[in-house]
Amino acid sequence: MEEEEEEARGLLSSGPHEAGSDAPATPGALPALCDPSRLAHRLLVLLLMCLLGFGSYFCYDNPAALQTQVKRDMQVNTTKFMLLYAWYSWPNVVLCFLGGFLIDRVFGIRWGTIIFSCFVCIGQVIFALGGIFNAFWLMEFGRFVFGIGGESLAVAQNTYAVSWFKGKELNLVFGLQLSMARIGSTVNMNLMGWLYSKVEASLGSAGHTTLGITLLIGGITCILSLICALALAYLDQRAERILHKEQGRTGEVIKLTDVKDFSLPLWLIFVICVCYYVAVFPFIGLGKVFFIEKFGFSSQAASAINSVVYVISAPMSPIFGLLVDKTGKNIIWVLCAVVTTLASHILLAFTLWNPWIAMTLLGLSYSLLACALWPMVAFVVPEHQLGTAYGFMQSIQNLGLAIVSILAGMILDTRGYLFLELFFIACVSLSLLAVVLLYLVNRAQGGNLNYSARQREEMKLSHSE
Amino acid sequence: MYSCEEPRWGWGRCAPNPILFLSLLSVAPFGLLGEETRQVSLEVIPNQMGPPQNLLHIRAVGTNSTLHYVWSSLGPPAVLLVATNTPNSALTVNWSRLLSPEPDGGLMILPKDSIQFSSALVFTRLFEFDSINTSDAAAKPPGKSYPPYSLADFSWNNITDSLDPATLSATFRGHPNHDPTGAFANGSLAFRVQAFSRSGRPAQPPRLLHTMDTCQLEVALVGASPRGNRSLFGLEVATLGQGPDCPSMQEQHSINDEYTPAIFQLDQLLWGSFPSGFVQWRPVAFSQKQGSRESALPCQVSPLFPTLVYLLPQSPIVRAFFGAQNNCCAFNLTFGDSTGPGYWDQHYLSWSMLLGVGTPPVDALSPLVLGIMAVALGAPGLMLLAGGLFLLLGPKRYSEYQSIN
Repeated sequence: MEEEEEEARGLLSSGPHEAGSDAPATPGALPALCDPSRLAHRLLVLLLMCLLGFGSYFCYDNPAALQTQVKRDMQVNTTKFMLLYAWYSWPNVVLCFLGGFLIDRVFGIRWGTIIFSCFVCIGQVIFALGGIFNAFWLMEFGRFVFGIGGESLAVAQNTYAVSWFKGKELNLVFGLQLSMARIGSTVNMNLMGWLYSKVEASLGSAGHTTLGITLLIGGITCILSLICALALAYLDQRAERILHKEQGRTGEVIKLTDVKDFSLPLWLIFVICVCYYVAVFPFIGLGKVFFIEKFGFSSQAASAINSVVYVISAPMSPIFGLLVDKTGKNIIWVLCAVVTTLASHILLAFTLWNPWIAMTLLGLSYSLLACALWPMVAFVVPEHQLGTAYGFMQSIQNLGLAIVSILAGMILDTRGYLFLELFFIACVSLSLLAVVLLYLVNRAQGGNLNYSARQREEMKLSHSE
Repeated sequence: MYSCEEPRWGWGRCAPNPILFLSLLSVAPFGLLGEETRQVSLEVIPNQMGPPQNLLHIRAVGTNSTLHYVWSSLGPPAVLLVATNTPNSALTVNWSRLLSPEPDGGLMILPKDSIQFSSALVFTRLFEFDSINTSDAAAKPPGKSYPPYSLADFSWNNITDSLDPATLSATFRGHPNHDPTGAFANGSLAFRVQAFSRSGRPAQPPRLLHTMDTCQLEVALVGASPRGNRSLFGLEVATLGQGPDCPSMQEQHSINDEYTPAIFQLDQLLWGSFPSGFVQWRPVAFSQKQGSRESALPCQVSPLFPTLVYLLPQSPIVRAFFGAQNNCCAFNLTFGDSTGPGYWDQHYLSWSMLLGVGTPPVDALSPLVLGIMAVALGAPGLMLLAGGLFLLLGPKRYSEYQSIN
């Protein structure tokens, strides 16, 4: 209701200007900030886009930041605690295929974004209510609802970016969005524990109510994101009217029958992806308490070090992206990233060295892998199957994350951290095996995955001739 | 006090010496003077003079040495550790003297000159205090304390009833003589003592590695009504030895928590020079019988402090063996904190320690861990090697792009 009024007011206020100038390029007719064709306005939109994802990334790792508190206040073991992550991943096993379809065909980008933001908000509120009412199943349900919104919101965010910045500053925008996501995660890691203690101080005691209220306060970031979604919808519609710009589309075409055409290298890339990410995200989910229990860190120091991966990823992603673009040789870069991650987990498992070393390595390799692995899909899949391939990759990644989250909790409860780390080492080593295989298969088939940037340039020229 | 907090590479051994390193290499650690097998026996020494008394003698006989552990609940529960360099040393008890007010010399290990090492532990008091419900770890020390239970004023069951020669174990189960509040009406404090005829680990956490040279004590408080809603319990332990010096307390940090999930620390009490005695325990207690990770409570230990013998409840067997002494050392153990699980959950608390003479057992990485690492690192390496050789030596194939160029 309120939004509609706001929109109406917006229409009225911009009405007279438009009446005088139906062409978009009328300098000075609108202030730069309000003119959709001007950079200043696009920067405003960029800001909104970045904040759009902030809430969901902030709340995604709420359980990791409050692991001790969740386990104590809700009286659950690590296995049940990790279900909070598994429940986030389950809906996304399917939604990775559906997200693009829903945005393009059913809701449209604007309503799609608003609806997914609502899911994120409602999910977080249910999650918090589960704490207040001391019902762990309600918390799990909350994470499920949150998961429905979370990943699809990221797709919507990318679609907005493409629609506003295609052919202009698109790569920069993607980079900034990613950085903002990492900042959201980092702020969460370092803020939630402090917030919990403040709520505890004002309530006078710790307990499930304290936890619920802390999570509810954390949910404010989701409301903020929802407001951004509404504002973006309004601005996008306004731009459509003024610039006759088309509504953004993901352009994803998902055909599940394409799966049978997937080549061996693509399957190997999937294996690398799943085995790699399951050794990173569930580890971060359990990381805080690991640093407290094994290395004797304080709660705050443990939060800080657990967020190192995200902190490093924020500035390094664009740099590594540039590096991989300039040099090519993607498989070699992926190999470096996987080997470094393996080394980092080995350091965490078998030494008592300061974990800053291992976590820094993990942060660097994680950023490098993202930059080198994901573009490889485009080299081995024809363009019309690209949507299916990426959807499939994300889907099995989520499947892997859901299963491994549960497994990791169980291993930790029964066998301890050394075995948990061994399990992660085994996963990364499987990923390494797949990289080596990919290299060999690519070599044997004369594939283009490991071309240097110059070879790629030459290939492009020879094709266009 | 000797402690090493410094994280370091590998198994976190503090002050490594060649003997410790040897035992790290071999899974079965060497005992006193290199004994590899011992004949371990357990017997209750009967009191021919009057009512039965709890005096348990564990004897571990090797080819050229004997270890004696004498447990008793005369007075507060106490244990004597004596190591001798002959397989023929024996315990002699003069009951009339031992039960008299001046028990000096009432209990001896003969021949006296064969004794290489001797020491004693006395469990003097059970503390109880209220915890403040806060997650702020800095809010220590714990809240108000209730009057402690003096374990000298407990009455103990007859251990002959709980003696199990098959598992080499016996349990001292006691409750206060004077219990006006009825706190122990349905509860008891139990000291379960176990010796071992081979090295291995118990099934229940903390799964300390034991050898034939060692003896395990499990202290369990079961069913006693706490005096506060969130009562924490503690145990006061006194040590006596041949000399006036306190043993040293050592905290070892290791990378290995496969036997006690999420516990990376091992606390040790070490007496002087080799051959010497040791007490080791994981800083963890459990609030449930199955000892899962959810029921794990932290166990804090105070630094050792010198004190005067007469300030603490006296143990006749310790007095009988060592004679009148003025000085001893004591330390306190505290189980649990205000956050997390506690005794209040199920009115159950258990904590274990290992007591021995010689080199303390050291955890090595299990074959399973080494196997997983070998496969995890070996498989990609071999694949790289095999693939590399195949590409180098195998049939040359040119890609179509190269052939065009």
